[in-house]
Amino acid sequence: MAWEFEKVAGPYKGRTGGLAWDGSAMLFSAVQEERILRFDPATGNADVFRKYTGRTNGLAILKDGSVLGAQEGGRRVIHFLKDGSTAPTNELLDGQHHNQPTDIIVDGKGWAWVADPYNAQPPYGPPAFPFLDHASVLRLEPDGPRTWKLERITHDTRGPRAVLLSADEKTLFVADGDAERGDVCQLFAYPVKPDGSVGPAKALLVFAPAERGIEGLCLDSEGNIVACAGWKKGGVGPMAYVISPSGTILESHPAPADLPMRCAFGDAGLASLYLTAGDGGLYRARDTGRRGLKR
Amino acid sequence: MHGSLEHLKIEIDLLAPGAERIVGRNPPLDIIARDIIFGEGPVWDARGKQLYFTDIIGDTIWKWKPGTGQEIVMRPSVKANGLALDLENRLLAAGWGGRTVFRFEKDGAIKTLADRWQGRKLSSPNDIVVKSDGSIWFTDPPGGLLNVGMVGIDLQRYLDNQPVFRIAPDGKSMTMVTDDFVYPNGLCFSPDEKLLYVNCSRERVIRVYDVKPDGTLGKGRLFHQYTGPERGVPDGIKCDVEGNVYCTAPGGIYVHDTTGKVLARIKTPGHHATNIAWGDDDWRSLYITMIGSVVRTRLNIAGVPSR
Repeated sequence: MAWEFEKVAGPYKGRTGGLAWDGSAMLFSAVQEERILRFDPATGNADVFRKYTGRTNGLAILKDGSVLGAQEGGRRVIHFLKDGSTAPTNELLDGQHHNQPTDIIVDGKGWAWVADPYNAQPPYGPPAFPFLDHASVLRLEPDGPRTWKLERITHDTRGPRAVLLSADEKTLFVADGDAERGDVCQLFAYPVKPDGSVGPAKALLVFAPAERGIEGLCLDSEGNIVACAGWKKGGVGPMAYVISPSGTILESHPAPADLPMRCAFGDAGLASLYLTAGDGGLYRARDTGRRGLKR
Repeated sequence: MHGSLEHLKIEIDLLAPGAERIVGRNPPLDIIARDIIFGEGPVWDARGKQLYFTDIIGDTIWKWKPGTGQEIVMRPSVKANGLALDLENRLLAAGWGGRTVFRFEKDGAIKTLADRWQGRKLSSPNDIVVKSDGSIWFTDPPGGLLNVGMVGIDLQRYLDNQPVFRIAPDGKSMTMVTDDFVYPNGLCFSPDEKLLYVNCSRERVIRVYDVKPDGTLGKGRLFHQYTGPERGVPDGIKCDVEGNVYCTAPGGIYVHDTTGKVLARIKTPGHHATNIAWGDDDWRSLYITMIGSVVRTRLNIAGVPSR
């Protein structure tokens, strides 16, 4: 079955990024416009959810409806509270400022898993703090009101771009490698141990050199990974894939625009797949034959 | 990042005839403070014969007295940035991460002078200056809501513009005097207070405004555009008694004549200067706050006294 994407919002300036379904609408980041928008499928309108986001990309919704954002420009994860204010989280990993978070998910315990790569665009402010000597998946755990504990989770990533947990939260999938920095891109699966740390990674997919790897990940109701990847510069081009948990590519679909960024299921019954891209659009495929996993 | 202080030195570029009358070829360099992270907000207190400055990331307001050394004035300091002294010699701070402008009362209490504009929280007051009529002028860009290590408890920006504000001498009203900027940073008056200079970190310019007797400004004019390849942005700005303008900018501290022409450049290779203040009894010392330190040099001309 071919996936037919329609552009439902945009284009916005620069790339669109992080996506999060809030139960009735799709939040998405217009990263360079420093805004989060909210696309309501009932009206077809994309209204401003938050301005001045400091180049927030990845988005995740907490149980109370507040939103966590991966703020690339400020080198932090920020917490968009329901009163309209925005709180910082923990920016320090063992006393050092971490890199530039780009993707974030929240698990059933309310812990936030964060992809913390380097970024081509420098952060805001004077360069007072060096970057970490590693680019890893980090995890924020609530540790009292407005305080978060920050831990390093992966020790072998070069530049994680996207993170995803399996339905049982026993496997962490990480899209690693930034083709724009010349990295080889891979999709890793890590077993999550009962203590919350991860075991050794298994490479599920390895992309060819110069091929842009996965930038966005989500899960379908059967536990398969839906990923968007690729670019027109090389390889098979911009694509959306359905990948089994063991790493078999089950389906390949052309993405509707170059540099697909993130993907997420939304709409009633999580029946539609939304996708953001390098052209600043928000796209939707209504009939994919798949549904999103309801967590 | 900043290099080792052992290698800290001052280099002077004399770029126009007569510049040596203002800046010597080999001015001295004294290290005033070394154990700080991000120096800013220098202001000389002539009555107390001491220098106040901030360490934004170190979350501290300091004072330093020759012969005595450093002492904490406030810690945590809400990541305060620019400092000034009012007509009663009270210390004022542009609260930056704390999003307010505040004053140290004689009894040590902190009084908030400004925290909102038209009902919305200020962004992050950056630098501050007091006019001789007692009015307080400050810039309000959003960097204290974004910059790594400098933010407070609410990072949300609410104002859609980036104004320069003026608090009236009686402290009871605040007006927006301009919002010409995409990132207003340092500001200072000419010696006769007929001109206000404001620099813009984003556009890398200095603009100059006529100051009207009622406290409003005329239309801004371009005073200087920085075009060099060096890293950095215009930040602190001050005038000397002849009206020459000193600005920490990409590649060093620039000295401009009153037309904007560059007369000289005071460089601190490997060290990023953030702001400057005139000080000492003859106002001929130039205190320089930097990433990692505060230093002092001597010039051949006096600056406009900070009070």
